[in-house]
Amino acid sequence: MSAAPGHRARLAGGLLAWYGVLGGAVAWAVHLFVGWGVDELTCAAGIHRVAGLPPRAVIGLAVVVPALVTVGALLAAVLTWRRTGRPARAGGDPRFARARMLALLGIWGNLLFLAIIVLGGIAVLVLPSCH
Amino acid sequence: MTPPGGITATTSPEALSTELPVGRSTGWWGMVLFVTTEATLFACLLGSYFYLRFQYGPQWPPGDIPDPALLRPLVMTAVLVPSSLPMLWAERGLRRGQLWRVRAGLTASMLLGLTFLALQATEYAELLTEFTLTTNAYGSLFYVITGFHGLHVLIGATMIAWALTTTRGGLDARRDDRVRNVAIYWHFVDIVWLGILFTIYLSPRL
Amino acid sequence: MSIVDTPAPGADRADLDRLDANWAERPSLRSFLTTVDHKRIGRRYLVTAAVFFALAGISALLMRTQLANPGGDLLSPEQYNQLFTMHGTAMIFLFATPMLFGFGNFLVPLMIGSRDMAFPRLNAFGYWVFLFAGIFMWASLPFGAAPNGGWFAYVPLTGGQATPGLHLDVYALGLLFLGVSTTAGAINFIVTALKMRAPGMSLNRLPLFVWAIVATAFMVIFALPALNLDNAMLFLDRRFGAGFFDPAAGGNVLLWQHLFWIFGHPDVYIIVMPGLGIVSAVLPAFTRRGVVGYPLIVLAIVAIAIISFGVWAHHMFAVGLPQVSYGFFSAASSIITIPSGIQIFAWLATMLLGRLVLRTPLLFVIGFIITFVLGGVTGAMFALTAFDQQVTDSYFVVAHFHYVLVGGAVFPILAGIYHWLPKITGRMYAERLGRWAFWLVFAGMHITFFPMHLYGLFGMPRRVYTYPAGLEWDGWNLVSTVGAYVLAVGFLVVVVGVVHAIRRGRPAPPDPWGGDTLEWSTDSPPPAYNFPVVPRVHSLHPTWDARTAESTGPGATADRVLSEGRRTPLTSELDGRYERPVEMPEASVKPLVLALALLALFVSLLFAWYPVAAAAVAVVAGTVAAWLWPGRRPEART
Repeated sequence: MSAAPGHRARLAGGLLAWYGVLGGAVAWAVHLFVGWGVDELTCAAGIHRVAGLPPRAVIGLAVVVPALVTVGALLAAVLTWRRTGRPARAGGDPRFARARMLALLGIWGNLLFLAIIVLGGIAVLVLPSCH
Repeated sequence: MTPPGGITATTSPEALSTELPVGRSTGWWGMVLFVTTEATLFACLLGSYFYLRFQYGPQWPPGDIPDPALLRPLVMTAVLVPSSLPMLWAERGLRRGQLWRVRAGLTASMLLGLTFLALQATEYAELLTEFTLTTNAYGSLFYVITGFHGLHVLIGATMIAWALTTTRGGLDARRDDRVRNVAIYWHFVDIVWLGILFTIYLSPRL
Repeated sequence: MSIVDTPAPGADRADLDRLDANWAERPSLRSFLTTVDHKRIGRRYLVTAAVFFALAGISALLMRTQLANPGGDLLSPEQYNQLFTMHGTAMIFLFATPMLFGFGNFLVPLMIGSRDMAFPRLNAFGYWVFLFAGIFMWASLPFGAAPNGGWFAYVPLTGGQATPGLHLDVYALGLLFLGVSTTAGAINFIVTALKMRAPGMSLNRLPLFVWAIVATAFMVIFALPALNLDNAMLFLDRRFGAGFFDPAAGGNVLLWQHLFWIFGHPDVYIIVMPGLGIVSAVLPAFTRRGVVGYPLIVLAIVAIAIISFGVWAHHMFAVGLPQVSYGFFSAASSIITIPSGIQIFAWLATMLLGRLVLRTPLLFVIGFIITFVLGGVTGAMFALTAFDQQVTDSYFVVAHFHYVLVGGAVFPILAGIYHWLPKITGRMYAERLGRWAFWLVFAGMHITFFPMHLYGLFGMPRRVYTYPAGLEWDGWNLVSTVGAYVLAVGFLVVVVGVVHAIRRGRPAPPDPWGGDTLEWSTDSPPPAYNFPVVPRVHSLHPTWDARTAESTGPGATADRVLSEGRRTPLTSELDGRYERPVEMPEASVKPLVLALALLALFVSLLFAWYPVAAAAVAVVAGTVAAWLWPGRRPEART
């Protein structure tokens, strides 16, 4: 093993691991909030442009961007899972096994959230936005 | 030799399994969670504002109520938001055990908070002649949101006064903890104000 | 009072004497009012919640008696409205959550190897507030002023014009008051689980029950503010003429529904989640193996806790929202079934792969799985919007959520009562009585609620105080009523079993079931300090693990004995590394005083005695200031 990573690298690595665990959940929350909010409020108030874009485009962005963020989180979780595999099996410091379990939560969790966002995207494609 | 950085170090097993967050006290966690649930409450309040506003229709504020005046709230912002700075300064003082600095910082934050409340009182005195809590939903939202935040400033100022009293005999681990928790609450009250400034005072003009 | 006869080898006699002197309480009125011991507080939560359950159950029996035959006249419509509202409100807010918080209070510190909760006095305060809030709400019933707008209290029915009087003020203020307790408890659980775990208990070794309690607590943190705000707005509308829900003033009645269900759907999981945690805790002891797929169950718990915040609008399919919005909520509503399914299949696999020990707790777990899955089936039927709109507000809905809540909360609670009775009371229960209780409760439950599916489909609306003959509803209603009495007898047998165990039961050994979590490695009932030596945890099943057991034996390090003062170790958030010992607070009367001051505040708000309310606020502020006063000096700075 090379020398222990520095303070900044450890901070960044810890944050990256947490992004892998919770990134999908946060992205989905933003997706739901923006998507529902824009749809419901523009329909109710009869608004046809939000920041210069048609509401449908804004809702589409509220699907695509969170989906990409979730894919990124999925990759981060997979990375953590793979990197911590060997040290966790070697025993010793239990933090590797802990990090590996959180990464596993991240992998499955991100897949679930990706599925929700994609299903929401299908709804945007096939349904009229106001009814 | 400097410790390795960059992508390779960040994605090493050691870095990825960094324990984060770590080493906080129970009191810190308690206050952070309390502030989190309070923040959710404010989010629901501001969400309700926008919900009622957009469900109401294009004319907002409704009836004869004019758009809220901007000058005073901006002055209030200029008073309240910077009040976090002396608080941060006092927190640095804690780390060095400088009692005078802690006390001076807390006092300055408290005075700024009280100034904010005085300004809010003058605003209410004027606006209450135009509309009240019962005039319509806008009046209800305006007074409940700003009043609830004002109550938080008042509680925060009381907490600072209380923390100042506890430091009369000097500092120790327990007193440090109290001051830090008061600081978390105070920063929270300041940040929430920005959300209220945007929602109540700026968004009707958008 | 428990003096251990054979000292744990890691702590000598002198250590035990010191621990006892520092932690034990003599039974007296003073210690009754001031205790901060999580085990006493947990027991009180359990008993108090059981009393509220009995009151709500009696309300239900009165209603079932009224509905046994067409044209019943036992209750007036006004009484009936108050009874069904109090039944629902009390079952949800005063029974289910506090009962599960009671288990959490008793068990979480024991399961994670701590000597108390992170904030013991806050814990005592939470209990007193819960008790007073419960009394506050129930006391309105004899005066005919109880809430009467249904447990979800939709406006405009519950507004000042449609429902004058105190009814809904009791509801709004009572729930706000109770919210103080629930929030305090939730914060306490999270901080306890983060900081008070025994050294070595990293997150991947945290018992599933504790995961469930922590997830529940996080849901409370994020969901309860919506309910509190809703109730505050309702009170302001009713009492002071605000216009939040008044369309004539530019308000909107749907705001109530949105806020209520933003809280309400997570609340379903707030109720059910700790129950699922109990199931995961009970199964290992009665299948002789760990629950299959630990990380997957943790995933299910965490995922459900998060996704439950994005499905609220499916309670409002009958309201009329834009279609794409429905799409977003439907997507989350369909996907949330995956983690729920994962849990069920993990339990079934555990039972298939393990060696079943068919005793009362396991019977209740099996009863839970059957009932809960049936409730899930009818739940999936609501996803068809056309079907949903047909059966909304019929008895079909009543049948559905009783299957979910009795299945998902009451059965696990009963499993938990029998499972941990030896630990809580130090006595074994009588197995025969337990089996009788199970079969009576199980049969009574299904006889009562299954027919409701039928007469719901036949068109009987919920919340009617009586009905005419000749609508095909009569016979089935009688069946339900008979079932309700069978169910009541079943619960009576449970109570008899508990009292019998306390009075006559034989003394329980530390580990009667061969359980895997740390509470089984200490005495039954545990000494006031829980563990003579705080263990060092080496695996997910510490009580089955020889190295963890050795850690409390000879050579246990002094930093885990901590017999000087009331101390317990503080460990790091994720990995459970030993940080430092902390001094725990002693018994205090301030939690009780603070709760009483809040009671005075809410009572005076109810009756519009505003000067008294102002005085109560002053007492609250003064008590908090004295409570948090840093106390004696000096302590070393860190």
